[in-house]
Amino acid sequence: MAGTQLRHIAKWRGEIPIESLYTAGIGGQRFFKALKEKGKLVGTRCRRCHQVFVPSRQFCERCFVELTEEVRAQPDGVIKSFSYAYIDHNGGRLKHPVASALVQLEGATTVMLHRLLEVKDLSRVSIGSRVKAVIKPKGKRIGSILDIEGFRLVE
Amino acid sequence: MTKFMRRALETPKELAWLAAKAALDSAEMKLDQIDGAVLGSAPDAFDGMHMKGEYLADGCGGWRKPYLRCYVGGGTGVYAVAQGWFQVASGLFDTALVVCEEKMSTCQPHPQAAFISIFDPFTEQPLKPNLLWIFALEQNRYMQTHHITLEEIARVSVKNKRNALGHPSAQLGAEITVKDVLASEVMAWPVHRLMVSPTSDGAAAVVLAAGDVARRLTSKPVWIQGVGWCLDTAYWTNRDLYYPEYVEKAAWMAYRMAGVKEPRREINIAEPYDPFAYKELHHLEGLQLAPKGQAPKLLADGVFDRDGDLPVTPSGGLLGVGNPIAAAGTMKICELFWQLRGEAGRRQVPGKPERGVAQAWGDLMQVGTVVVVGTSEPKH
Repeated sequence: MAGTQLRHIAKWRGEIPIESLYTAGIGGQRFFKALKEKGKLVGTRCRRCHQVFVPSRQFCERCFVELTEEVRAQPDGVIKSFSYAYIDHNGGRLKHPVASALVQLEGATTVMLHRLLEVKDLSRVSIGSRVKAVIKPKGKRIGSILDIEGFRLVE
Repeated sequence: MTKFMRRALETPKELAWLAAKAALDSAEMKLDQIDGAVLGSAPDAFDGMHMKGEYLADGCGGWRKPYLRCYVGGGTGVYAVAQGWFQVASGLFDTALVVCEEKMSTCQPHPQAAFISIFDPFTEQPLKPNLLWIFALEQNRYMQTHHITLEEIARVSVKNKRNALGHPSAQLGAEITVKDVLASEVMAWPVHRLMVSPTSDGAAAVVLAAGDVARRLTSKPVWIQGVGWCLDTAYWTNRDLYYPEYVEKAAWMAYRMAGVKEPRREINIAEPYDPFAYKELHHLEGLQLAPKGQAPKLLADGVFDRDGDLPVTPSGGLLGVGNPIAAAGTMKICELFWQLRGEAGRRQVPGKPERGVAQAWGDLMQVGTVVVVGTSEPKH
């Protein structure tokens, strides 16, 4: 088969220099504003299919209708899956492994990704474990998903 | 196809040209007999060329021809063949050249970093997730739902890397054991290093022709009997990750077109997408080739071995041959082509297979692309 493994040859280093400015959008703004200002987790509910999207969204992708009804989710939730990452984005070993989980909040039909806090021993975690969101104090909230520090296991 | 390798000397367009030329040579055709060209290639960031479709046009035989690039993430390599098929099956062209290329080694220091911006910028990017994370979450969900063990998952790596020993393009063919897989580094629990395909450079290509043209060109045409694809929600956290419904939908679309009613009986050979060991099992279930949660048992029973009842990934797959994203999917189509013609050499499965299915997967774990090929002309 054709193809040549690279050994010693001319190389050139370059980049695609791009920086982005993202917005949360009409739908996402509700969630991040409520999180920053009130420390609350809000979503939007579809009147047709009854999905409760948390974080809030502008439209339901299934019914293709605008979502206007705001609902509040609880900081308590259940783990749907979890992992413990040892490798960083560049393939290097992480100094501090990162525990992450998929969590369904009470009052939401959707599932969100976030960090699992203070988990040193994975055997304590299982799918179905109950967790609670840890929300930063008001002065430290900036309207980011990181205003939630992560989820802590509820014993 | 080219060799799949860690770091190629060839430029992306040279890789594309090598694969395209090999496909034309194999069909004993010249470029001027090709009516249209299709490129499949994944994110621009891999090759480091923005708008790489245009950059790669010449390597794909696109000079002064109707040419386009198509892209559905990791599902591209199988989808591109469907894209070429539309052009021929619609009657627009007599022939089409489909080329898939990826040169991941351009992306420094590791192509994984290019994936950070595929996640939602507000709800996920600040958490700095990477693909390993999300596949680990999926594997964990799959394992726990069906009580599947790591040993059962590890068998996929053992089988595919062994099968790849017979593939002249393979990057990672090896004779390893389940113990070796489980002793390899944990990258993100429960994913171990030997359960993950490598990053690769490479290209693969096929020539498509209308039925009457194909019969003039060869006494053994391989027919595209059905194509299917489906995208699930980009809110990947909202899917129950234990089962790929979008693969099931894509598979049934292709099976219906091919007249396949009982996939497990009517498919003789399968090339499901195996970037991670568990994905092969997960996809076999989505492809209706194993009941939900039963693929690990069928694997352990030898059903999916090269000489088993349903040979699965006789090529060696992404785990063994390598994973230059889009090219890896097309490599699976190439494998079915060789297997159905009895030209797979050391990899040839016994029993003269008549029909095979290839499948690829990608984007935010949301894309299923499926092509069914066979030795008999479809009725549609």
